[in-house]
Amino acid sequence: MSESQPLLELRNLETVFPTRRGVVQAVTGVSLTLHKGEILGIVGESGCGKSVTLLSILRLISWPGRIAGGQVLFQGRDLLKLSGREIRRIRGKDIAMVFQDPLSTLNPAFTVGEQIGESLRIHGILADGRAFWPWSGRRAAERERAVELMAEVGISSPMDRYREYPHEFSGGMQQRALIAIALACEPQVLLADEPTTSLDVTIQAQILDLMRRINQEHGTAIVLVTHNLDLAAEFCQRIIVMYAGRLVEMGGVDQVIESPQHPYTRGLLACIPRISARRSRIEPIPGNVPDLADVPPGCAFAPRCPLAQSACPASLVPLSEVEPGHWVRCLCRTGMAR
Amino acid sequence: MAVQATHPIKSGWYHTWTIRLRLWWRGLVELGYELWQRPIVLFGGIVVVAYLLAAVFAEQVTAHSPARGSLLLRFQPPAWEAGGEWAYPLGTDDQGRDLLTRIIFGARVSLAVGLLSVGISVVVGTALGAAAGYYRGWLDEILSRFSDLLLAFPFLIFAIGVMAFLGPGFANLILALAFKGWVEFFRLARGEMLAERTKEYVDAARVAGLGHVSIIASEILPNIIQSVFVLSTLRLGSMIIMEASLSFLGLGIQPPTPAWGSMVAVGRDYLLTAWWVSTFPGLAILLLVMAINVFGEGLRDILDPRLKIE
Amino acid sequence: MKVVKILERVLTTIPIMFGVAIIVFFFVRLTPGDPVDIMLGRSGAVTAEELDQLRHQFRLDKPLEVQLWYFLSDAVRGNLGYSYVRNKSVVDLIAERLPATIEMTLGALLVSLIIALPIGIFSAVRQNSLLDRSSMAGAFLGISMPSFWLGIILILIFAVRLHWLPAQSRLSYDVQLREVTGLYVLDSLLTRNMPALVDSLKHLVLPSITLGAGVAGIVARVLRSSMLEVLRSDYIKLARAKGATEWQVVMKHALRNALIPTVTVVGLQVGVLLGGNMIVESVFSWPGLGRLVVDAIFNRDFPLIQGSVMIYAITFVLVNLVVDIMYTYLNPRITL
Repeated sequence: MSESQPLLELRNLETVFPTRRGVVQAVTGVSLTLHKGEILGIVGESGCGKSVTLLSILRLISWPGRIAGGQVLFQGRDLLKLSGREIRRIRGKDIAMVFQDPLSTLNPAFTVGEQIGESLRIHGILADGRAFWPWSGRRAAERERAVELMAEVGISSPMDRYREYPHEFSGGMQQRALIAIALACEPQVLLADEPTTSLDVTIQAQILDLMRRINQEHGTAIVLVTHNLDLAAEFCQRIIVMYAGRLVEMGGVDQVIESPQHPYTRGLLACIPRISARRSRIEPIPGNVPDLADVPPGCAFAPRCPLAQSACPASLVPLSEVEPGHWVRCLCRTGMAR
Repeated sequence: MAVQATHPIKSGWYHTWTIRLRLWWRGLVELGYELWQRPIVLFGGIVVVAYLLAAVFAEQVTAHSPARGSLLLRFQPPAWEAGGEWAYPLGTDDQGRDLLTRIIFGARVSLAVGLLSVGISVVVGTALGAAAGYYRGWLDEILSRFSDLLLAFPFLIFAIGVMAFLGPGFANLILALAFKGWVEFFRLARGEMLAERTKEYVDAARVAGLGHVSIIASEILPNIIQSVFVLSTLRLGSMIIMEASLSFLGLGIQPPTPAWGSMVAVGRDYLLTAWWVSTFPGLAILLLVMAINVFGEGLRDILDPRLKIE
Repeated sequence: MKVVKILERVLTTIPIMFGVAIIVFFFVRLTPGDPVDIMLGRSGAVTAEELDQLRHQFRLDKPLEVQLWYFLSDAVRGNLGYSYVRNKSVVDLIAERLPATIEMTLGALLVSLIIALPIGIFSAVRQNSLLDRSSMAGAFLGISMPSFWLGIILILIFAVRLHWLPAQSRLSYDVQLREVTGLYVLDSLLTRNMPALVDSLKHLVLPSITLGAGVAGIVARVLRSSMLEVLRSDYIKLARAKGATEWQVVMKHALRNALIPTVTVVGLQVGVLLGGNMIVESVFSWPGLGRLVVDAIFNRDFPLIQGSVMIYAITFVLVNLVVDIMYTYLNPRITL
């Protein structure tokens, strides 16, 4: 199913945060690929490094955190090697991002319309050949386009809403506004960090519908980060499971959901409460997530894994392909433990 | 120390305060540790203590008289300049009095005024604020309106106004400063009280049968005290500057009592010939206020995060 | 609607102003001594009949409430009393000196903002750098320094030792200037009088720095801490994700939000400026309202003191009103 070249590719990404307790390995050796128009899901518990992965793609890791190694290839160019000006040109234009809590992500001091228009202005969309003076023409064009975008993402009466401030919007509308900001420059990749987590369930469904529509109509590839495996199952085409900063399973949605290989993935699926389940109990995974400042070199899940062997935490476990397109990082499941 | 279930509730006062004393002792030890981690703050505290000691033991520490000087020795420059001697390390003033001695005695005045005015402001302001916040109603209305009104006056102008009409002098000065100063503590105490009174432990105490005053004194006040204390250390510095400013204008402490502000004023006429007469008293003010502020801010940094945990 | 909120705020000011006037009224009544004596400024002996006549003239034979009523109605009509010490009405005396004070206050405000704004911003952006630490130390110094001493030290260095700047007054006595507004810098610009412009600016520098230092320190610190908080927020992250340059992120997105709490602090500082006025004017022999008040105190000119204190307080109230309005306007979250 893969085309000639992946649109976005991460190779062995490593991001660390030096803290007083030690260096926190937020993301270790994560590799993934994203193709044009594809919807990829990154799933895992809080703190497993999925958000950091997204931020690393756009180099939005703030000091003292830093990207310590690996490559982020977008259309063949390594984003980690670009200059400041170059990466800024990509941010918001080729790769756009949507964040979790829309109210705190929107600037309270500016109107929503202005914030959407800003994306256009930063990247010089609509500036094409238009004279600097009178820039009322450009302003008007920006406003028009912003209103168009607001309508497209489903914000009602966009002409009035243009002048309103973020706190005057409802949660769902705020998220739509964020999506409008992201779409303004027609990006090829949309990075979505838990876009529905802070919303009501009904609104969640609407937002996901919107994103699906954008994917279909504009061909925008989407990377969706979520802790909700159900959501990922419903929405994504391919899924990546992360644990303690590492990628532990990767594959098509059917593969990962129907026949999960990694014990952690299986545990996650067992945790999900289902209305129609025949099971009467939810089986939690015993133990706790390890301290990311102090992770063993081998499998991080070993302390909680029912199948763990002595070799598991010892040294780095490589990814192996259990079926075409389905990869797992586990010694036991791949029959490599002896 | 086990809490005895049969302990009569009426001794709530004593009970809570002894427990609190132990906690405070432990708190003090922790405070000491934190201060040790912040040498600058600690240094500020040491400087303040040094000033206090110098002020209290001024007679013992100084070699000369602050009031009598020899006109023969007028305007001696500081010891390190030509014509100066080490007997008068910072030089002498227009009446031949040793500057260093006068500065040390001046500390007495400044610290006394500062501490008293802040002290009165704290006591009056906190008491009124706690009462207003707790009882609400007409008491709160009147006091709040009155404090708002007082806030309409810039501090110095109010103080000058009061001093103009009452006349200069130690007591009047303290009154003037405290009369405006209590407002801040009133607002702080009131605000904290409003926040605390809705909390559960107040209801619990009420159910247990404690009277209002008991509740305020033994339960709520200890929680408020920390922020009051922090604010008071910060305000001490401004009170001292205020006193010095008023003395400079001639409205505060009158000569011949040594006061830093008036010493600077005297030296003003002699800037060309005897720059030290104005410079060193002012420097003394600066160092003391800086030390107070450094210590007060450091204290706030240390105590503040704890306040949140509490 | 914001306009309603603003109107509300304006209305609450009026009772406050009355309250201020009442307090000032009672100031005078506090003074020990014979009230007639006080009104006359204790400037002379008067005969017994004159005493009674004056008592009637001052309305001191009427009950307190009536006196208060006359006082207030006079004040509202612009009559703040008469200074027997100087033989002029209080209002005239104040009006003469007001421009000088306004000029210095504006100068100080300007100086302090010019210093504090860039420092506050850059200290936050480059937290813990050398610039940050040293400017915060400097701000600390500015706050802890008594203004009268700073003024004297500045005079000592720049006037006495270096002879760069003058030590007192607003204008050298050999410079001519035609007054238009009373603000010398403005007037020299309006009358295109270059020598006067330079001279008046020279005279304005040291007093402005002296008065502005403390305010600069406080504003710098407040701006820095609100910038630090703002820079940590999520919308800054979004701004960066949009591809905005660091300059845009700081100056547009962050500053706009950080200025909101800072503006209220600046408003409060105007009160400090108004008070500190008196001291700085005394140090620099600046012929303004502050010195007028100080002189009045020594001359026991109580009507003048009363009038001036009231003017100061009312100015402060009005400035706070303006600041509140600005705040309501700036902060989009306040609508209802």
